Order: sequence, then C-alpha cells, then structure tokens
Amino acid sequence: MSDGLHARELTVRYGGLVANSEVSVDVAPGEIVGLIGPNGAGKTTFVDALTGFAPMTGEIELDGIRIENLPPHERRAAGLSRTWQSGELFGNLSTTENLLVAARSAGWTSLARDVFGRRRRNGRDVVGAALEMVGLTDIADTLARDLSLGQQKLVGVARAAAGGCTVLLLDEPAAGLDSMESRALAQRLRAIADAGPGILLIDHDMSLVLTVCDRVTVLEFGKQIFTGDPTAARTDPRVVAAYLGTPTEVGHG
Amino acid sequence: MGTVLQFVVLGLGLGAVYIGLGSGLLLVHRATGMINFAQGAIATWGAYVFAELRNTGTLVFPVGSVDLGEPPSTATALVIALATAIALGFAVHYLAFRPVQQNSVLAQVVVSVALLITIQALVVLRFGPNKIDVESFVPGGTVTLLGAAIPTRELFIALVMVVLAALVWCYLRFTRMGIATRAASENERAAVLMGFSPSWLAAIAQAGAAFVGTVAVILASSLTGLNADYFGLLVVPALAVLLVAKLESIPVLVVAAIGLGAFQSLIGLLVTQPWWPVWAQSGLDQVIPFAVVMVILFVTGKRLPTRGATQQIRLPDVPIPRIRPLVAIGLVVAAGLALAFTTGTIRFGLTTSLILSLLALSYVVLTGYLGQISLAQSAFAGAAGFVLSKASVDWGIPFPISMILCALLATALGMLVALPAFRIRGAQLAIVTLAAGLGIERFIFNNYSLSPPEGNPIADASLFGMDLAVREGRDLSRLAFSLMVLVIVAIIVWVFVRVASGDMGRAFLAVRANERAAESSGINVRRTKVIGFALSAFIAGIAGCLIGFSRGQLSAESFTVMAGLQLLAVAYLGGITTIGGSLVAGLIGPLGISYVLMRTWLDLGEYYELVLGLALVLTAILNPVGIAGAVRHQVEFVRRKLRRPATSPPIDAPRREEEASHV
Repeated sequence: MSDGLHARELTVRYGGLVANSEVSVDVAPGEIVGLIGPNGAGKTTFVDALTGFAPMTGEIELDGIRIENLPPHERRAAGLSRTWQSGELFGNLSTTENLLVAARSAGWTSLARDVFGRRRRNGRDVVGAALEMVGLTDIADTLARDLSLGQQKLVGVARAAAGGCTVLLLDEPAAGLDSMESRALAQRLRAIADAGPGILLIDHDMSLVLTVCDRVTVLEFGKQIFTGDPTAARTDPRVVAAYLGTPTEVGHG
Repeated sequence: MGTVLQFVVLGLGLGAVYIGLGSGLLLVHRATGMINFAQGAIATWGAYVFAELRNTGTLVFPVGSVDLGEPPSTATALVIALATAIALGFAVHYLAFRPVQQNSVLAQVVVSVALLITIQALVVLRFGPNKIDVESFVPGGTVTLLGAAIPTRELFIALVMVVLAALVWCYLRFTRMGIATRAASENERAAVLMGFSPSWLAAIAQAGAAFVGTVAVILASSLTGLNADYFGLLVVPALAVLLVAKLESIPVLVVAAIGLGAFQSLIGLLVTQPWWPVWAQSGLDQVIPFAVVMVILFVTGKRLPTRGATQQIRLPDVPIPRIRPLVAIGLVVAAGLALAFTTGTIRFGLTTSLILSLLALSYVVLTGYLGQISLAQSAFAGAAGFVLSKASVDWGIPFPISMILCALLATALGMLVALPAFRIRGAQLAIVTLAAGLGIERFIFNNYSLSPPEGNPIADASLFGMDLAVREGRDLSRLAFSLMVLVIVAIIVWVFVRVASGDMGRAFLAVRANERAAESSGINVRRTKVIGFALSAFIAGIAGCLIGFSRGQLSAESFTVMAGLQLLAVAYLGGITTIGGSLVAGLIGPLGISYVLMRTWLDLGEYYELVLGLALVLTAILNPVGIAGAVRHQVEFVRRKLRRPATSPPIDAPRREEEASHV
C-alpha cells in the first residue's frame, strides 16, 4: 500500500547560509506536485536533501518508512528516485545500459549470477517499458554522450523510473527543450503519474508546471511561501512578488 | 635520554630528504595539479652526476659523457650537478608533464610513473647498479648534549634544507610569479591575467623542485652512499608528508618531514630492544608512513584539495566484451600450439607472458573498468605467492585448493586497501596504494624472520596424479606446466568476460563514469569499489601463485614496488580497458616473451626497462587506448572502408596479438 512521500520541516544549512528552512512537502501516489521559485530559492537543494546528497535535519517518510538516515542508494532502493539538472548520464554507456544500471542490482550475489547464471540476450525487455514511456525506443543503443540535450533529459527521467519507484523527483526535466518537446513531456509525465508513482516536478517553465501539476509549492530564499492550487498560485501576491522581484514583507530568511 | 636525542638527530638526515622531495612535490602540485612520482628519481640523477664528477672526473649525460681529466673541485661539481638538475626539471616539464596537462588523471599518474622507471633504468645503465660513495663536504664532528655525542653533520644538512624550504615558501607567498603559480592552480586564466604563461610557471616549478630535491639527495647520500632504488623510492614517505601538509603548507610539511625522519630513526632504536618481537624488527619504519597517511586521510578525507574534482578520470571507452566461442577456442588452441612447438627459454617466456597477462587483467578490472588507480597490485600477487610457499611446503595443502586459498588471502588484502578509496580517488589513491605496497614489501617480503633470505620454496603442483612441475631434469620448461597455466588463464579470462559483460561490469562502468549518478541510481558505490578491489586482487593473487610455481621458489625481488610499477606500465601500454590489452601487456611484460627475445636474439636485455619507460611516456601522451586499442581502431577503420558484411568473422585485437606470439 503506497502512501507516497511526506517531507516534514527539512532544513539545510551550509555554514551560516540556510539553504532550506523548514520546508514541508507531500507527494501522494499518482499526484504531480510542482516545486517552483526564482533562481537560488533552494529547489535543487531540497531534492538533494531528500535524496541524501545534502546534510539536512527534519523527517522524510516514504510509504510509512522513515528514510532520512539512509544513504542515497538505499533511499533509491526504498523507492525515492531522482533526476539531475545536468543530466549526469553515464556517457560511456548506451541508453539501454544507462537504464539497466538503475534496474538491475549489483552486489556480491550478482557477481556470482554474472559468472554462473544464464544471461539474458539483452536488457530490452527489462527496460523497454521505461524507454517506451518517454518515447525513446529508437535510441536504445546510442551512447548517452552522443544524445541531444533534450534526449539526455528524457533518458534521465527514464533511468529514474526504471526498475520502479514510489516517488520521482525531477530536477528541471524541461530545461533545454523547445515548447513542442515540453508539451510532449507534460503528457508523458501525466501518463507516468497515472501509472502509479507520484512526481515532484521542479521547473522554470511556468506554463508546464501550471498545466500539469495538481498542486504547487513555491520557495523563495529557502522558505516555503506558498502551497496549494496552481491557479491560486498565479494570483497569490507573494508568489507574484517573488517572481517579479517586488519587495514584500515576506523578507529574506 | 641522550641516546634518544642522538637517534632523533640521526633521523634528521632522512627528514632533510623528505623536506627536499616534499617541498618539490608541493611546488609541482601547486603549479600543475599533478603529483610527480618521479621526484626522487629526478633528484637521484643529479646526485649521481655530482658523485661521478668527484669520483672519476667524468660528466655523464643520459647519452654520451665527457671526461674532464681531473675531478673538478667540489664547488664546480656542485654547480654542474645542480645545473643538470635544473635542465632535467625543464625537460620533464616540456617533454612529459605539459603534454598530459589536459589528459586524464590516470595518464598523469602513468607519465610520472613512466619517468620514474625511465630514470631509474638510465641511472643503472649509466652509473651501474651498485651503491657508490659520495664525497662528504659537509663539516663533520659532534657536540655533547645530555651526555650523548650528537653528530653535527645531520644538524647542518637539516638546516640547509629548512632554509631551502623557506625559500620555496617565500617564492610562493611573496613573489609575483609565486602568487601567479598559486593562482594558476585554482584557475589558469588568473595566471594569464597576471601576465604569466601557466606553462612557464610550471616549468620553473619543475626546475625548482628538481633543484631542491637534488641538493637534499646530494647532502643525504654523503651520509649513506648513493643507491638509485633507495633514493628513488624515498618519494613514498615524501608523498606521505605531502599529504599531511594537505598539499599546500610548507611549514607543516617541514615539521612533518622532520618528525617522520626522527620517528623512523627512533623505531630503529626501538626494535633493537630485547623485548621487541623479532618478526616485527624489519620494515616497520616503512609501515609507519602508510599508517600515517591512512589516518590523515580518514580524519581529513574529503577536505584535501582536489584540483581535478570536477574533472573525472577520463578513460578510453570500454567495449563491452562478448564471448565469441570460435575466437576463444581459436585463441586457446593457438596459444597451446605456440607452447607445444617451442622449448626451453622461449616456452618459459611465453608461459611467463600468459601469467603477466593475468596481472595486467587485474589492472583492467580495477583501473579500466572501475576507474581506481592502484599501485599495490604486485604486493597482492606477492602476498599470495608467499603464503603459497607456506601452504604448499609447511602445511601440505594440495594444489588447486592451496592456490585458491592464497588468492583469497590476496583478495582480503585487496579489500583492505579498498578502504581508502571510500574517501579519495585519482592520484591521491595512487599515493596511498603505493605506500601500502611498499609497506607490505618491506614488512613481509624483505623481513627475514617472515621470509627467509635463502628463499621460499614452493612445492610443485600435481593434480589427479598428473605431474605439473615446471622443471624435470634438464627440461627447464615442461609442456604440462605451461598448459596448466594456459587453462587457468583461460578460466580467469572467461570469468572476467562474464563479469565485465554482466550487471557487475555495468555497475563498475557506472561508478567510473559518475559516482554521484551511480549512487542515485541505487548503486552502493562503496560496496562496488570493494568488489572491484577484491576481484582485481584475486586475479593478481592467482598470478602471484603461478609465478611462484614457475620459479619453484619466491624471492622478494619478484614482487617489489618497482616490479609493480612496471606492470602498471605494461598494462597501460597494452591497453588498460580491454582483455586484448592485457594479452598485449603479457607479451611485452617484464621477463615475458618480448624480453626473452630481446635478450637472446638482440642481446639488449639490459635496455628493457629503459625502452619500457620511454614507450610508456609516449603512450600516455599520444595514445591513451594503448596498443590493443590502436589496433582495434585501425581494424574498425579498415572494416568501415571495406563495408564488409556483418557475417564476416570478427577480427579483433586479441587474435592479432596472439598470432604475433607465434614468432
């Protein structure tokens, strides 16, 4: 029984700088939650904190299990998966191999399995669904570093989803895509969410976020200034001020 | 108390060398971001030039020499030797370091390792292998303090080196060039903006480093005599001191250098105490630097400045291997025929080549696939070989079991050496593994109470009544033994291909490409590194056992750190990312078939190491895919030209190399 992600009062400090201040976000299964905010608001830091790449305090619960003390790879195994803003694909591996890294486990037992076990002729059956989901079956054998930026972003999404997960954290998957690709991505994200996992979507593309998301959370200077309905976010004075840069009483953290 | 003080002061001689080599290493690292493993060897060359001038009046160059008739005065000889050192520093920069400035960390490590091999080989060729005396022009004498006679010579030498280190410190801190050098280590454009060429700054740093190091070795060798191996490898404790100084602080480096020298000297005093266990008498002074480095790295791990932090180890691409049954069978049959139709030293050379290709394969696993640089592989092999001596003779364990047990012991050692790889990578990992290898060599292999000087006999192998001994009567190389080696190598290569093309191999490559992304994809990076080190050490252990069987006994010389560095050299030369590369490496490796042919047909055996070192420098600079990679590129090029249909039999690098072995 999936319960989704509950992050409560996450705080990230780098020296004297508070990059995230008591940010709380919930992502239910099948739901797409947008995380928006101006540059430097702490969006990527929040994803880093959730996935174990930034030192944090607070609680993270995934499917009813507390995971804030687990190392990154165990959080992934628990079902919390992410993409990176800069792609971070394994450039020397093909698209299929990139997905297989995430889909197949690799430990002492797989060492024995590699040597003595029967070999599947190729991994397409394992990762085919994930590739199909993002519409990339035709580049299955291309080396990741030979892909276009847009394709790399999509492979990143497919890699994060490969092997199954409860919640997907997508860090600017639409950056570098043109408006048509961006619309196609929106449909794909909706399809992924409908199939089960919840999605936390970070993006600058306001039209993408506001059309595809069920709810949005807005960060400014590491603080949560709004959470709620996307249409309400459009007219919320604090959100408008944050994006237009007008000084408001919700000052610096 | 007086004796303790006396030993502390005696340790200053060693400390002075660490100051000289360490501050040079620091200077070069600040200017280029690279670690120069050849720093000790470079300094040794200048010292040899000095000693030879004073002893015989001959000025020796790498090629040719000038007889000055009378030995020149001490001052003249010093000036000439130090001028040689400076010239060598410039040459090192322009011929070796600058060409790999933009290359992978691995290429940078390999270049300086290649320099180390080349210069050591040149020293032996030009000055002979024996220790030579060096004139002591430092005023000697003793002063009495606390009732003990304290030698003033050591005090004076240490003082000179502290002053030189202070000059290096002033250069980096107060001169415009020094400040630009420091700026360049952060951002090369900054140096350009200050009006300096980063390459020129680096050349000056290399020359300065060679100068300071050479002074130190000249002074210290007047106490002990000059020996290329010894002083060349003093770079290891100097590197330990460099890490203690976090690669940037000269004052800390000086204090640490003096402290380490004194500490090692005191250990020399300690082990002579009657209550000290005999088995721990030898080599402990070499284990200490390693322990120091380990502790420092574990405490301060990620805070060491890593200039190349954003630059990953860019290695050539790894083609995922497939087993083509026909090619595999063809290869094994061809190798079997080659062994059957040769005899004596040629067959022995071929057999040694097969074993060496296993050692090279252990580098392929660890460096080619996992991207970790280890310089301790020969120590893993040696540890397995030494235990095999005990297991086969003293404990009477039968053949295949004894070998597997010993390889598993090497595996455990490998997993232990994997621990520092949790915290560090690149050149720093190379330093730690080098220190570990040297510690194992000195503490175990050179320790007479653990491995007797008369040798460690290894019982011949036999299986199901089959005699697998390497020798019988006058036959120095029996076919049965060679075929056994072939079968074992074939099995190990098969296992490697299975792993490399499976989930584990993919995880290795993912870790090599991007640790952060691998971690976020659910890969346990630490466990993956441990598995990689384990697998690599297991393969090295098997190779060590086979070397043991092939010699009938083991001596420390087979597994020295230098032998390990040569193996890295041939593994890289052959191609460090492919099986084909490791086969090539076996063919060209030390005591392998190429060496045998070079010695017996061309009578050029003594030039082997020199040729190897030079070839490696060139490979690191020009051709990171190695010989096997270059052959494959050519084959692919030709195939594309011919547009052959896909049904044609695959022509790949390993088979071509194997054909070459029929010679």
